[in-house]
Order: sequence, then C-alpha cells, then structure tokens
Amino acid sequence: MEGYMKEGRRVYPTEPRKIMQARFATKYLNYLLHALTNIGKPELSSTLDCCVNKEIDKMVRYEVDMALALSAEGFAWSHALKHRLRLNVNNNNHAGKSQSYLAHHDDHRTKMPVNHEPATKKLKGNPKRSGTEAAVEEEEEERLTYLRKLIPGGSGEMMVDDEILLSELGSYVTCLELQVNVLRSMLQLT
Amino acid sequence: MLQCSDMTVLERQRARLKWQEEHFQQHQQESYFSELSGVFSSQTGHVQGFHQGGLMSCGGAAGGDSVLSDVMMTRQLKPDPGLETAWPELGKKVDMGAMGFGPCGYGNGQSFDMNQAISRTSSCPPAMAAVEAVEVKGNLEKMGLAVGRESFKKRKVEKLQNSKVVAEDDSKRIKASEEEEEESKITGPNTKKSSNNNKETSGDTSKENSKVSDVQKPDYIHVRARRGQATDSHSLAERVRREKISERMKYLQDLVPGCNKITGKAGMLDEIINYVQSLQRQVEFLSMKLATVNTRLDFDIDNLYGKDVFPSCTSNFSTVGNMPPELANHPPYVQFNPIQQVVSGCGVEMGINSSDMALRRTISASVLIPDASLLNTSCFTGMQQIQPSAAWDVELQNLYNVAFTGSIEGSDLKMEM
Repeated sequence: MEGYMKEGRRVYPTEPRKIMQARFATKYLNYLLHALTNIGKPELSSTLDCCVNKEIDKMVRYEVDMALALSAEGFAWSHALKHRLRLNVNNNNHAGKSQSYLAHHDDHRTKMPVNHEPATKKLKGNPKRSGTEAAVEEEEEERLTYLRKLIPGGSGEMMVDDEILLSELGSYVTCLELQVNVLRSMLQLT
Repeated sequence: MLQCSDMTVLERQRARLKWQEEHFQQHQQESYFSELSGVFSSQTGHVQGFHQGGLMSCGGAAGGDSVLSDVMMTRQLKPDPGLETAWPELGKKVDMGAMGFGPCGYGNGQSFDMNQAISRTSSCPPAMAAVEAVEVKGNLEKMGLAVGRESFKKRKVEKLQNSKVVAEDDSKRIKASEEEEEESKITGPNTKKSSNNNKETSGDTSKENSKVSDVQKPDYIHVRARRGQATDSHSLAERVRREKISERMKYLQDLVPGCNKITGKAGMLDEIINYVQSLQRQVEFLSMKLATVNTRLDFDIDNLYGKDVFPSCTSNFSTVGNMPPELANHPPYVQFNPIQQVVSGCGVEMGINSSDMALRRTISASVLIPDASLLNTSCFTGMQQIQPSAAWDVELQNLYNVAFTGSIEGSDLKMEM
C-alpha cells in the first residue's frame, strides 16, 4: 500500500527508507542541475577552452560534492564535507588558483596503494602471524584508520568513537550509492 | 508460567503481557489500539493491519504467540542508514520491552536490526524477559503510547537525523528518571541486555530475581553478565561496546555487496574500504564525464527540453504520476509536484518547463533504479544489476524516446537510450 493523496496527485513512498532516498535524489539533483547550469552559462563567454576545462572539472567536482553534502544533512560526514569544501573554496579564492581541493582528494587516491597494500600483504602473506589476537586487532586498527581517511571527517573529533565511525560509514556508503545513481541517470539523459 | 526453559523470549514476554493485560481493563487496551491506529494512519497501512492483528491476538488469545513471532520474523526490512544508530537500539528496546507496543517502533521504525539480531542470536535469554517484564509491568500503566508515539513521530519527521544527536538522546533517556520517559526504563536495560548473547540456562532464575531488584532503578545501565565471565564494570562496558560494533559491522555487511561470505572484522573492513574507494572513483569519473558534457554542449537547457516536446510528453508523465501498471510493482515513487515547487522555490532561472522535465525524468530514473534493485535484492547489492530491470526500463525508454525526438534537431546531444 502506498500513501496516495489526492491533492495534486502527489504520490510518495511510505516506506521510510525510500522516502529518504527520494528526498536525497530530489535535493541532489535539484542542487546539481542548478549549479551546473550556472557553471555552464558564464563559461560560454569565456575565451580559451583548454584551461577552462580544468576549471570546469574542478567546479563540477566541487558542485557534485557540495550536492552530496547538502542532500544528506544531519550526518557527521556531510558536515565535515561541507566544511572542507568551503574551506577549499576560501583557499582558492584567497590564493588564486590553488589546487587544494583536488590535491586533498588526490592525497586520498595516492594513499590508496601505499597504505592499503601493506595491510593486505600482511594478512595474506603471514596468516599464522595474524592468528594472534594482537596482530588481528592491529590490522583492524589499521583498516579503521584507513577508513577514517576515506570518509570525510573521519579523523575529526566527531568520529573518534568506533561505533559512530561505523554508523557514519553506513550512511556514507548509502549516500554515495545514491549519488552515483543520480549522476548516472543525469548522464543518461544528456 | 516460566516452566519451560526453551521458550523464547518472545513467547515469554507475550505470556507475561497477557497476564499483565488481564489486570487492566479492556477499555485501556482498546484505547491503546485506537491510539495505535491513529499512529499508523499515516504509516504503512499493511504494517498497521499486520501488527494490529498481532496485537489483538496477543492481547487476547494464546494463538497470538505464533502470529506475533511470525510478524516479527518476517519484517526483515533494512534499517534506514540515516537512523541506523538510533533505530537498532530503539527497535530492540521496543521489541524487548513490550510486545504490545512494539509495532509503534515498527510502524515508524526504520531499523529492523532487531529482527536480524533475533534471527542471529541463537536463543534470546529467558532471563532477560523476566527482568524486562518487571519493568514492563511497572510501565504498562503509564506506557502511554503517547510518549512512545511522540518520540517515534519525532523520528519519523526528522528523516535524516544526526546519528550522534539521536545517540545522545538515547543515552539521556537511559539515564532519565522513571517518570519522565517510559522508554528509558525499557531502553536502558534492554539495550544492554539485548546486545548480550547469553549462555544462561533457566537455572539462573535466582540470578534473575536478584537482578530484578536492581533493575528498578532507572539510573544505571544494567548489563547481564555472561556465565563464567568477569562481571566488573569495565569488562561489561567493553563487551557492550563490542556488541554495538559488531552490530554495526553486520549492518555494513548487508550494505556492501558480496560480503556475506566474509567472516571476520578485518576482512569485512577490507571489503568496505574497497567498496568505498570504488564508489568514490565512480563519483569522480562521473563528475568528469559530466564536466565534459557541460563543455561540449551549448548548455542551454531550453534547447535540450524544448517546449514543443511537452504536448507529446505530458500524457506520458501523467501516466507515470498515476502509477502505470508496469510500474505498479515498484511502489516507491517520486513526488512530482513538490519537485516543481522546490524548483520554483529555489529560484532556478532555467526555463521552468525544462528544469521540471529534467528533474522529473532524472529523478524518476534515479529513484526507480534503487527501487528496482531493492525489490530484486537487498538494496544496492549490485548496481550493475539495476540496469536490466525490464519493467521501468521499458516505460522510461518510451518516455525518453518521446521526449527527445523533438529536441534532436540542431543539438549535439548523444542520446544513449
């Protein structure tokens, strides 16, 4: 059964989870379309395409992330993401064309192979050694710290607690999935 | 009444409830039920019917046991991620506390971790039920559905809550006095107990009785010690914390695709890391693609969704709004009108028609994507599986084909249908 209100033929999902998803998608898309058209318009009048492309990439990336942060209010990670984005914007504004935002993200990317490989190697290479409880806990700690780097605000004071970190992870993963879906469907349209 | 040690907690609690409710007048129960129906009027209708049926049988006959247990067991819905931290506790509290009022949590509840917990734990400790029953007995009189309803409604209204805030609320309630919040008595002890997998037998009834007296004080978080394990406060708290963490890990296991076979925290964390990284990479890739699309097009939305498209599309959209039969299997929907209002409210200065259409199509596409997957498997178990969902695909393709035929002229769009 779905809730069906006759005024304006509005239909909405009544399962709470799907309400949340629909709202997320709505907010996200709304924000992003608006932002993208704003990016698009001034660029029409710009001169060179080559250097503009990078700028556009950055701006689009910024808007994509901002849309995520704004569509998923109420999570520690969304708050941290918003904060980071605004900080980076301020940096960009003050320091000219600094790459701070993308650099921050690139750090995450580059850290991927560096930090992650040793952890897995340790696990796969020395199964006996990892049998001891201390070693296992160590690995888990490693992975948790790595996860903290992945999730925005993971290293902050909000997510010191492991439980909170894991629950934030849950919401973050779901919102990432929703975001990917929205982006994919946007690209399908154009 | 508590002869059989093999009785599950549910059955025991139900038996106790029956006993307790016999002490109350009938009209009280009826008032509860009417309140329940008031609670559920805005909620899922079938849940209401389900649970009221369960309640009725619970309150009255002996057959209610199996009904409710079936009801409980079959409500294997996924917890809402946004409220996940609150709801596992809440769900458990509500369940363990009072079966008769459990549906409140269900109706509004967005976490059914409790069910998973129930199904996972081999046997709920009988002792827990005894302890809880005492509180329940003390609470039942005041157990205003009103109180529960308020807090549940609060949670319903605040859809995306700060998990920490709610966690704080829970901890506050745990320490709240008896008179203030009924939940506190149920939540506090129940949270801790429900998270314990006990190995106790019914021979520990003496322990139950001794614990019962302690339980009356609402100020403490009471944790049941496991048999043969240390009972000092530190290890108990530690154990509680570990239980919570493993609970969250289980939730994440359901969330991340392909983690069912992996046991062990380290492996799970590995998978989670990989998944998050892959999602982030996807977002980056898609955003770059979006950027290139931006630059390639004349980003003039009026051309994309020209007005001449509308007369042919409106009929399709109205059918989409009216739940076309193909999509009837996918109950969750998008609200179209509020989107329009939101769009105009934001002061978006695109052609209003175009933005509407873009939003509607995209949202219907993007929301129906998760819907289809939800219906097929657990949510987002495979985003690759989403695409070939026949029902919505056909419908949307029809929409898009009609929508875009008019706008192809003079634009560089690549229509990937």
